[in-house]
Amino acid sequence: MSADPGAARRRDLSLLLAVLLALLGVALTIIYFMALQAGAAPRLADLAYARLPGTGVQNPVTAVLLNYRAYDTLMELAVLLAALLGIWSLGPAAPGFQRSGAVLAGMVSWIVPLLIVTGGYLLWVGGYAPGGAFQAGALLGAAGVIVRLAGDPRAGLPAEAAQRWLLVLGVLVFTLVGLGLMVFGAGFLTYPPKLAKWLILAIEMAATVAIAVALAAAYVGGRPPGPEARPTAADEDAEPQPPASSPRPPVPGR
Amino acid sequence: MSDPLMTAPLVLCIALPLLGALLVTALPRWSVSLGIVSALATAGAAVALTAAVWQQGTLHLILGGWDATLAIALHADGLAAALILMVNLVGLGISVYATDYFHDRLRVGAFWPLWLLLWAALNGLFLAGDLFNLYVMLELLGIAAAALGALTGNRDAVAANLRYLLVGLLGSISYLLGVALLYTAHGTLDLGLVAQRIAAAPELFAVDAAAMTLMVAGLALKAALFPLHFWLPPAHANAPAPVSAALSALVVKAAFYLILRLWLDLFWPITGMAAAMLLASLGAVAIVWGSWRALRAERLKLLAAYSTVAQIGYLFLFLPLLTATPPGPARDDLLAALLLMALTHGFAKAGFFLAAGLVQTHAGHDRIDDLGGTAQRLPATTFAIAMAGSALIGLPPSGSFIGKWLLMQSAIATGQWWWVVVVTTGSLLASAYVFRVLSRAFGLEPTPVRFVTDARAEVPALTLALVSVAVLGLASGPLWRLLELGSAGGGA
Repeated sequence: MSADPGAARRRDLSLLLAVLLALLGVALTIIYFMALQAGAAPRLADLAYARLPGTGVQNPVTAVLLNYRAYDTLMELAVLLAALLGIWSLGPAAPGFQRSGAVLAGMVSWIVPLLIVTGGYLLWVGGYAPGGAFQAGALLGAAGVIVRLAGDPRAGLPAEAAQRWLLVLGVLVFTLVGLGLMVFGAGFLTYPPKLAKWLILAIEMAATVAIAVALAAAYVGGRPPGPEARPTAADEDAEPQPPASSPRPPVPGR
Repeated sequence: MSDPLMTAPLVLCIALPLLGALLVTALPRWSVSLGIVSALATAGAAVALTAAVWQQGTLHLILGGWDATLAIALHADGLAAALILMVNLVGLGISVYATDYFHDRLRVGAFWPLWLLLWAALNGLFLAGDLFNLYVMLELLGIAAAALGALTGNRDAVAANLRYLLVGLLGSISYLLGVALLYTAHGTLDLGLVAQRIAAAPELFAVDAAAMTLMVAGLALKAALFPLHFWLPPAHANAPAPVSAALSALVVKAAFYLILRLWLDLFWPITGMAAAMLLASLGAVAIVWGSWRALRAERLKLLAAYSTVAQIGYLFLFLPLLTATPPGPARDDLLAALLLMALTHGFAKAGFFLAAGLVQTHAGHDRIDDLGGTAQRLPATTFAIAMAGSALIGLPPSGSFIGKWLLMQSAIATGQWWWVVVVTTGSLLASAYVFRVLSRAFGLEPTPVRFVTDARAEVPALTLALVSVAVLGLASGPLWRLLELGSAGGGA
């Protein structure tokens, strides 16, 4: 029940917009089914399977990501790097985490090693089954997020100088492998079939580290804080935990 | 084209700025020297690429040695080579200027990696021969551009560039939807192969037309075609000067290039006069509206940003003329004129923004009404603004004079005389806004003591403006040869 005519007009407008968008969606769905009728897509999947033996991996998805279309993946890693550099350019990370309580700390000390082991497994399994650098990196990044939630302001990552090297590692190894192959006459990112498995593994390992660091650092949300930002036992004694009923203390910078 | 030495520049144009970006990220202390070395190396690769296209004709490289349908191709024809050369020379000018512009250590450290990533994305976009790879390049370009635009860190800049980022994402998603439709219907992402299949399957017209609409609309949003230009003026006017130059001269141009590439190479069999007329009409409104807003702008950088909206409009006027002109020398002239307009605007707008940035740093503001005496304090900078301005108007001997001349000639020849009115109006308004700045800048004060005040910041602006006026106008002949070699355009 709105007496304000402006609000009513806005509601009419958003209703109109919703109807138009729904019509657009219907039209696109119809056109999509028309495109499916052409029956072109499976042919490429067959070809991707047929060429699999020369790719150095047995999982077709990994073959697409790191061999057939490796150049796309290289640039996607660069996109991730650009996104994090963009976050860093906006300023330092907001502080405002407290050291975790005993229960959370206990859970973290169980979960983080598990995530690291699972990440390593996913990286290796990507060669022949679903898995690979992006999945492994996402798990390790999640480990970083948990560590940050448990009160480490740097999300378990090393100091900024080292973080920068880890961050560029993925694109760096990828580009250097590509250029190295070009220097030896094979062509940019053209792996010789015998070496393909090991080159892809090297790239995937570097990419896993870079993806994990980028995701965890993105969660930190700004330029990494220095070593002095780490909360100490003395801080906690000075600042007792607020009672559960009180409103949350204001977090600076948010 | 399997000789690896000949195709090496294709890869290096992308790999060198990328490597440079990694090094400046990892070693922020050395970012200025490493950045300049990377800029020089990248520009060198671009010159080598243009030379290779000049000698060999179109370069084509399928990465990974797989079948063309499975892998990604890099492709450089005359059109791409000419634009790559412009982008990289302007990029070099911006890099030299940036060494003197940023002083804060954190800002220097933030600028160089993002700028080199932006550069890699630009080169990658001009050289891509694959529809999905183009999407990846658009993403990298959009994220790096928005982050760079927000570098000044003030509230307006961050808000404007957050909007720029979201608009850019919307444009990319629309493009990607179109790519998904094309891939579903035609089963490949390679530009050349999809083009063949579109021509061979007229029964899929509805799908192709829907894909074209989605892709062109998405890219028009990124190219700031009226009325989708709303995000551009605040984003470009609030960015640091070297970034404004890159955004206005290069990034917007990349989106237009992609529209042209899709129009000529991919969708040529299904494009019609109606679609071309629609885009050109929007371009015509952009010319008049953008020039008018530039005339009314209170700040120098805002003026330059609105002028970009207008100048992009001119490029869209060429579409119906290209559609109406049968393949032959007349069409080649038209393509060369289009290219000449794009190149001239690239150099001129970059020079204009760099010079405007210098005015802003020296005067502490860029309010046009308070620019009195700028010619005395910064003679070389004022001269650069004047030259770049004359290229924006299209005065002889600038490249845009020849471009506009050929545009109007072709408009009369194809019976679309109304574009002549638009071009004349736009040029008149452009003269008005350029002379409005110059009349303020040249006060009645004593003759300046020194011409060049700050070489590292002034020489790039001056050089870029000079190229737009003199070099492109007086020596535009090679463009025709480059285009012939590349044989750009489905009809040619």
